This record gives sequence, C-alpha cells and structure tokens, in this order.
Amino acid sequence: MNTLIFFQTAFAGRRLATLGFLWLVMITVAALAAPLIAPFDPLEIDPVGRLAEPGWPNLFGTDHFGRDTFSRAVYGARMTVIIGTGSVAVALLAGGLIGMISAYFTRLGHFLMRCVDVLMAFPALLMALALITLLERSVFNTILVIGIVYATTTARILYGMTLKLRGEVFVDAAVCSGAGHFSILFRHILPNLVSPLLVQASFIFAFAQLQAAALDFLGLGLPPEVPSWGNMLSEERIYVTRAPWLLIYPGMLIVLSVFSMNLVGDALRDSIDPRFKDDIAGV
Amino acid sequence: MLAYTAKRLLTLIPTLLAASILVFLFVHLIPGDPAAILLGDTATPEEVAQLSAEMGFDRPLHVQYFIWLGNVLQGDLGTSIFFRQPVLSVIGSGAETSILLASMTMIWIILIGLPIGILSATRQGTWIDQITSSGAMLAASIPTFWLGLYLIMIFSVTLGWFPSSGFPSLSDHGGITNLRYLLLPSLTLAAPNAALIVRLVRASMLDVSREDHVRTARAKGLHPTRVAIKHIFRNALIAVAAAFGFTFAALISEAVVTETVFSLPGIGRLVVQSILRRDYPVIQGVILVIVVLYMVVNLAVDLAYARLDPRVSLK
Amino acid sequence: MALLEVQDLEIAVRTKGKLLPVVQGVSFDVDDNETLGIVGESGCGKSLTALAIMGLLGGTTVRITGGNIRFDGMDLLTLSDGERRSIMGNRMAMIFQEPMTSLNPVYRIGDQIIENIRQHQKMTNAQARDRAVELLSLVRIPNPSERVDSFPHQMSGGQRQRVMIAMALSCDPKLLIADEPTTALDVTVQKEVLDLMADLQTRMGTAIVLISHDLGVISETCDKVAVMYRGRVVEAAATENLFAELAHPYTRGLLNSIPVVDSDVDWLEAIPGRVPTLEEELTGCAFHPRCALVTKLCATSVPQETEYKPGHSVRCHFSGKVAP
Repeated sequence: MNTLIFFQTAFAGRRLATLGFLWLVMITVAALAAPLIAPFDPLEIDPVGRLAEPGWPNLFGTDHFGRDTFSRAVYGARMTVIIGTGSVAVALLAGGLIGMISAYFTRLGHFLMRCVDVLMAFPALLMALALITLLERSVFNTILVIGIVYATTTARILYGMTLKLRGEVFVDAAVCSGAGHFSILFRHILPNLVSPLLVQASFIFAFAQLQAAALDFLGLGLPPEVPSWGNMLSEERIYVTRAPWLLIYPGMLIVLSVFSMNLVGDALRDSIDPRFKDDIAGV
Repeated sequence: MLAYTAKRLLTLIPTLLAASILVFLFVHLIPGDPAAILLGDTATPEEVAQLSAEMGFDRPLHVQYFIWLGNVLQGDLGTSIFFRQPVLSVIGSGAETSILLASMTMIWIILIGLPIGILSATRQGTWIDQITSSGAMLAASIPTFWLGLYLIMIFSVTLGWFPSSGFPSLSDHGGITNLRYLLLPSLTLAAPNAALIVRLVRASMLDVSREDHVRTARAKGLHPTRVAIKHIFRNALIAVAAAFGFTFAALISEAVVTETVFSLPGIGRLVVQSILRRDYPVIQGVILVIVVLYMVVNLAVDLAYARLDPRVSLK
Repeated sequence: MALLEVQDLEIAVRTKGKLLPVVQGVSFDVDDNETLGIVGESGCGKSLTALAIMGLLGGTTVRITGGNIRFDGMDLLTLSDGERRSIMGNRMAMIFQEPMTSLNPVYRIGDQIIENIRQHQKMTNAQARDRAVELLSLVRIPNPSERVDSFPHQMSGGQRQRVMIAMALSCDPKLLIADEPTTALDVTVQKEVLDLMADLQTRMGTAIVLISHDLGVISETCDKVAVMYRGRVVEAAATENLFAELAHPYTRGLLNSIPVVDSDVDWLEAIPGRVPTLEEELTGCAFHPRCALVTKLCATSVPQETEYKPGHSVRCHFSGKVAP
C-alpha cells in the first residue's frame, strides 16, 4: 500500500517518466508473451531470405542468417528482463545483506566494508571482464558477474543507510522491548529501506543493461546463439552499411529501455525520504 | 599539503596490498596448473617445470604471493604467451594510445559537460533546462559501442571526414595530425561521461544556489552571471570533483569498448584480445596496472578536493 | 522627504496557481540617522518586507504586487536590474540572520569584502584590501591585518556577523537593513553586535531598519517601531510613545512574553495559539482568533488604521480598551 502511494507521488506530473514506466511495462509483457507475439522462430535460419529489408512479413527485416529480426527483438526483451532482474536480485541480496550486517555488527562490519573498498578499486567493466575470464559464457554467469559488480556499490549504500536508521529512536525502542538481532534488522530496519532499495534497483537495472550489452559486444557475454539485443548488435555490426536496420532496431530498444529505467529511477529518487537522497547516485 | 599527501599515500597501501592479493589469486582461480596456464598450450614440460620452480608453485600460497609481489615490484609482470614478450612492454606499447584517448576525452568532458551543466542549472525549470537535463540522461543511456558504430558510419564511411579505425603513433608519419584518428573515439567515449557531469553540475549548483551565502553575494549587487560562476559554480565544483574518481572508472570501462569499436591499439583492446587469446599473464598485468592507476587517480581527486574546499583540514 | 518611504507595499506568494497575499498595505518611512524596528513573530512578513526593499525577492514564486518603495528620491520598483544592482551593497546594504552560513565558505573573508568594494568603487585590489582591513578594525575584529586572510570557518558566529557588518558598511551605505542580526548569536555577543551597530550609526549617520522578533532588542535600539502581524502593520509609533501606551492587544501580548528580571511576576504570559498559515482563510482582524478582547465585529471586519495618539497609529477596533 505504501509502495503504491510512493509510486503515485513519484510519477505525478512527470510525463516523460510515466512514458518510461509504460515502456517498461510493454517490455515486460513482450518478455512474458514472447512466443505469442513473435511471428517466427527467432533461431530459424533462412538462407534464401538473408538481409531482407524491413517490410512484410519481416517487420524489422532479417539478419545475415535470414532470421527474423522482429522475432529476435521480442525474445531479446525476455533476455533484457532476465538479465536485469537477475542482476538486481544478486546485487541487492548480496550487497544488501553485507551492507546491513556490516552496519549492525560493527566489528565484523569494519572488516567487511574494507573488503568492499578493495573490490571497489576495480572499475566495473574491468571487474566483470576479470570474472568472466574465469567462467564460461552463459546466461547465469552473465547475471552473476554483473550482479557481483553492483553488489559492492549496493553494500556501501545500504551500509550508510542502515547506520543512519540504527541511530533512530524506533530501533532503540525495539531493542528495549527485547527484540532479537534478526527481528531488528529484518522486521524493523528493512521495511524503512524498501523505497531507497527500489530506487537503487532501478539504477542497477539500467546499468546492468549497458554492461550486458557491452559484454555481448565484446563477445564475452551471453552465448552467441542467445537472441539478446546486445548479441544482435555484436553479430550484425559488419553489415552496418549494407543493412543499417539490423543495428537501428536493437540499438534503439536498448537506449529506450535504459533511458526509461533511468527516468523511473530519477522520479522515484525525487520522492524518496530526504535522509537517503544523497546516498544513491544514479544517472 | 605534503604531510597530508604522505598520510593519504600511507592509507593507500593496505588497500593496494589487498587488491594485489586478489590480482595474484586470479591465476590460481583458473582450473589447472598455474605454470601451464601462464605459459600457454605450446609450452614444453621442461618450460612448465622451470617456471613452476621460479615462481615457487610447489610451495605454500603465501610464499608464492611474496615471490610474485617481489617480481612485480621489480617491474616483472611475467611474459605474454601470445607476444612472447615481457607483459610490461606489451602494456607499454598500448599506453600511448590509451593515455592520449583518455586525455582528449577528458578535454571533451570538461568542454561539453561543464558549460551545459551550468546552462541547465541557471535556466532551471525552463525548456532549456528540460531539454538539456533529459538530453543528458538520454546520452547516458546510449551504449558506447552503438554510438561509435554510427559515428563511424556517418563521419567516416558516408562523409569520409575522419579515419574509421586504428591509430598510428604520434612519432609516425603525420605527427600531431594523427590525433584526428582519436577524434571520433574520444567523442564517443566522452558522450555518456559528459552527460553524467552535466547532471552532476546541475544538481550540485541547484543545491548551492539555495545556500545563504548566495543571497549575500546577490546583496552585493553582483551581476547574476558573476554570482552563478564565482559563487554557485565554484562551490558546486567541490561536489563535482568528489565524483571525478567515479568518472575516471567509468572512462576506463568504456575505453575497453571504444578501443575495440575503433580498433585502436590501446590497453583496453589489449585486455579483450588477451581474454579471447587466453593470454593470462597480460590480463593479470593489465588489471594490476589499472587498479594502481585508479587508486592514484582517487588520491589525486582527494588532494584536489582538499584544495577546493578550505574547510577540509590538511593536517 | 524621508530617505526610505514604503507605501502600501503588497507582496504575494504563488502556490498551486493561486496568489496568496503575504504582505498587505505596509507603509513606513525612515530618515537619515534613524533606526526603525520592525517586530513580529516568524511568518508575519517582516523578512519579506526587508528583502523587497533590498531587491532580493528571488524567483517567480514571491513577488511585489502593489505599492511603492522610494529610496533617496528614486522609485526602486521602476528601476532596471542594472540600476538596482548599482544601489545594492552600495548605498543600501543588508545583513542577515545566519552569520554561520551567510559567508561563502571557499573564499577568504577579506576577498569577500574586497569583492563588494570593487563592485561599486574604482579601486585597485591593494587599495580595497587596505580598506577591508580598516573596516575589520572598525567592527572590532582583533588583528585585522591577519584576520583578513581567514576563511569563514576559522571564525566564531559573532565574528562572522561582524565581518558581515564590515562588508555591508564597506561602501558607506545610507541605509542598512538588518534582518534578525543577533538571533543566532549568544546573548553576550548579541549585545556587542547591537552596540557596534548603534555606535557605527552615530559615527556615519546611517539609517537602519532592524528586524527582530524580540521587543526587548527593539526597545533598546530603535527610534521608532512598527509591529507586524500576518502581513500588516498593526501598530506603529515612536519607541517611547509605543512603550508608554500599548494600543494593540498583540503588541501587549508580545511584551508580556518577555521575561523581566527582578519582577514579582513568576510566570510568563504567552499569546495563545499561533500565527495562522497562509492557506487558512481569515475574515476580519487577522489577530481575532488569538485575541482576548474578540467580539463579533472583529471576526467580520478588517480594522482600518486609526490614529490612536498623534504619531501613534493602530489597527484595532478596540484600541482604547487595551491600555492598562
């Protein structure tokens, strides 16, 4: 209920952010109903119909294998949602836990936060590249790598927020009424962190898209046969002059989705509790 | 100032050591014999045995670490499997391109980011502000490689104004005019980072403009432009400088992609190619060099911050 | 003609598309060498009046909707921005309530004073610096030739307010507007700052508009007083006349809430209720919900300004019944 009101106030009077939100809803629908929406099999190769221009029945044309670009784009939405939510889940779970526990158990926290500092000495994509070197190309590993990269910043932010909340009267009250550590952390402190976490999640989602696309482009992300927007760009980039649509559609889809997510994050951040505003850096 | 610098350098050492342990462990996390990994598939059993003895791979891990650290401190980062050359000289050959690219990008970021950010903040709430701040967010949402591909298509392929790929050294034929090879790459790399600076400058200028001392400045009868630059922007610069380390990290990450798109012989492309070639000594070396560089940049940012804000005690 | 004449000043705030009046029909004048005190609780419009005179009402949300401000024979509201700025910080200067934050933290105080001097006077940097040192010694900052290179954070609140005064006086203004200059300071420092202002006034002949919520401060330093309540002047008179006979129940309430040392009264009378917010619709006298003498008339009709005694005006239907 509170979350609903939070959303309502965040989007009131923000047309661009509302449009962004609607776009993300569309992407989610496309992801869920991909087999119903896509007119062709995204993996079906048609050697005769290679590099067909956009038209009928191939709305976005075909690629150099003769695969239907529109169908691949629809299935790409599925990858976007999976990579995005997956990375957010890993980052928030790992980073959130480390941050909250560090702020609560100070001695252990001091050590843990120093470790986080060390990990943050590695620039994001470089750390992702180092991790990916050790792993095979797969959807799961891509999610894992991007999630771990953003877990460090999330831990930092959550650490700061939990520290602030720990000093508040309601936490003292909970301690006085005999609440255990677990109960204080998860029943009293965590509910206050829901909206800032939501903001953080939206920015991670946006960054994760860009990182995943970059990994795909470098040939180090998802396996090449997986229809993701980043892979579509990566595979077809040599055809940029012969068949420009092969790059326009997936590229625009990435830009629109990342832009929308940033707009949504921005709107949410502006309506967040002012105590936490400075903690979250977004775009 | 000197004492402060020395003190900050000292606090850097534990983080640096911890990071070096991670970089050291990197090779050990790859399944297989580390000596065989470092030498590649073509190595003979004798070579593997020799390196194994040299690096102490048969001895406890912490001993191996100190052997490795000792080598690193003497500038020995190992030998590239692919180039059959010392890793340090392989990295060094990419340094010119990467440093020039980063410098040009930094110039663009400052030339584009600061003025637009100031414009956006001083015209807060007007259509100029709406266009520039939404535009900046849009620019930050564009994948660098995609932007690069289109710049190549428009300015190199269609218009033929700029070369599309590669970068001959400044010492080669052409001299300083060879910088034109870096024009499109540096603009590509600058776009998302300048966008971040625009939004940062705008947000911190709006914060500062609400402070009391700005009213004092206006009460002096100063021209609004002077108030905006000398009192609002100058103070906002403190927050902007603090975020500069973040910009640098973003720059390094995106340089990897940009150098690949434009086929520039820099350190970024070297990493990607080394990963694809499984040239582990080079990967390890580049990561170490960049982490050290990143920490030095962060230190520089801290020192700049202390200079910009007299309230930061230098003691 | 007086140095500063404010006539029927109206200021409104735009909120949610509506214009809400915050200052209504405010008039007063100030002569050279004279101190006018404006007193009232927070939210009564006294600071906005001061900012309006100074030309610092910022942005599009607060603006002057009517009336006149004449200064030294000029109609301030018809001047161009450039002409207005040539007066600000020069012939008219202002000091603010928050000495801790009113100076720019990144510049040395000397440079901040020099900036004001060189904005209005043709001087070299060295000359302006000498002048700044002179001003700092005038406001009794110890070691002025060294302190001129201090940063604001290296000084106490009282010292920073002195720097603000030095800056305000740097171009020998004819009018000094002081918006709660001592509220944020310790009591002992308060007195020093007020004495300093009075002393400088006798030396330079500056006119002062002193804004305060503290009737005690006003009574000690001002030649005449205007009491404001919810955007209107409800009582105005020369200081001794006003304190001789308080004509408005609000003024009386303000005075009763000041602790008096050595008096037999061992409790303080507070005015019940609070200043109504802008959004609250009010008919009649704005003070009626809190007034002890309220009648039906008060709730329906706005009292006009009447002359209670010569030179003593008041806005109250029952002003005669208030006097002790």
